[in-house]
Amino acid sequence: MNASSRYNRQIILPEIGETGQYKLLKSKVLIIGAGGLGAVILPYLAAAGVGEIGIVDDDVVELSNLQRQVIYKSSSVGKYKVEEAKAMIAALNPDVKVNAIAKKLSGKNAISLFEKYDIVVDATDNLQIKYLINDACLITDKPMVYGSIFRFQGQVSVFNYQNGPTYRCLYPDENSSSVNCTDAGVIGISVGIIGMLQANEVIKMILETGEILSGKILVYNVLNNEQQKYDFEKSDSFVIDRSTFEEKYSQKENRVEEISAEAVLDQIDNEAVLFLDVRNEDELPKITFRNSLQIPLINLENEIEKLDSNQTIYVFCQSAIRSKIAVELLQKMNFKNLKSVEGGALALKPLLEEKVIVRD
Amino acid sequence: MIEVKYFGAIAEKTQCSFENVVSSNISLQNLLKDLEAKYKFESISFSVAVNQKIVSKTTDYTLKTSDIVALLPPFAGG
Repeated sequence: MNASSRYNRQIILPEIGETGQYKLLKSKVLIIGAGGLGAVILPYLAAAGVGEIGIVDDDVVELSNLQRQVIYKSSSVGKYKVEEAKAMIAALNPDVKVNAIAKKLSGKNAISLFEKYDIVVDATDNLQIKYLINDACLITDKPMVYGSIFRFQGQVSVFNYQNGPTYRCLYPDENSSSVNCTDAGVIGISVGIIGMLQANEVIKMILETGEILSGKILVYNVLNNEQQKYDFEKSDSFVIDRSTFEEKYSQKENRVEEISAEAVLDQIDNEAVLFLDVRNEDELPKITFRNSLQIPLINLENEIEKLDSNQTIYVFCQSAIRSKIAVELLQKMNFKNLKSVEGGALALKPLLEEKVIVRD
Repeated sequence: MIEVKYFGAIAEKTQCSFENVVSSNISLQNLLKDLEAKYKFESISFSVAVNQKIVSKTTDYTLKTSDIVALLPPFAGG
């Protein structure tokens, strides 16, 4: 590594120097989300020589991402974002170790993941995940660098920095709603500016220089270039520890995923999917087709050996009440790829009749 | 006159980024009540700042002329 020539322009800054460059190289930053914000934060941290960067995202690149997620190429479409990002960084700066984590952040993996890094960056587009990141940062004692966008406005802050205020001190109402870029629309430059401000906070924390946006939220409007800072204080009303964290987030993750009857119809010839009917045998209309199997809910536990826990299973009943119970039961028995069919047989029947599959 | 600034989804409801409210000696709680009645923010949650400082919405505070209030909803894009 020829560090001095690669990093010369920043090493000559008195705030950085050889010592600062060494701090960057020794630092570990975790970025949650490889979308618009992540695609800005990642290359700038990597170019500056941050030694280890984890990037978490289970999405693949879509064509509609490319107007703002500038590290991806047209040829990246359909590939995992984190793998494409890792390849991009390897070409940019081989000094940086990139950990590509193609998973969704969850209550199960957040704490063990966060423990391996010094700083966590929130580059997500979902309010619920922000609370999860905040809470896992509280437990692991990591600063959270927050950024988010609404159309032409963005917000930036640093939470839990040296025991400072958290996301919950600013936004205590966990059940609030806000639209993301998919629904609201966004231009790449807005995301770029906010992502850059987040990367700047990360670098300042590592270098221990400047003033960190702790206890302050910066609101930026790209249309008129107005920016405002608002101060907020730490509130003691929210307390969390490992056991309450696990309780809180394990419940949320066991919720039942659903699939619409229309989407089921598209999969009806897919041999990789098993259609499990948990109604009793005398219930009408009878629905049988090539990959369907009937096991009444009451017999499910006893006849579990008929099912493969790795198979994708779409469960249906008459009206999607028993099918949800069945999915929860199967989840407890470590079945992984389960969905409950919305509306059950009553929704499926008219659709199937059009395809002439029902034998009534 | 009290200036009220709006951000994000709140500004979409109000159709403006700020306005001046001509009231004297109105409490913060009553101002928020009036704005809710006028704009129907409904499920959009927000934090409130008075003079660049986030305060509790239920805080007992009588607004003074020249106070600047801001309504800050969380953003979710990224």
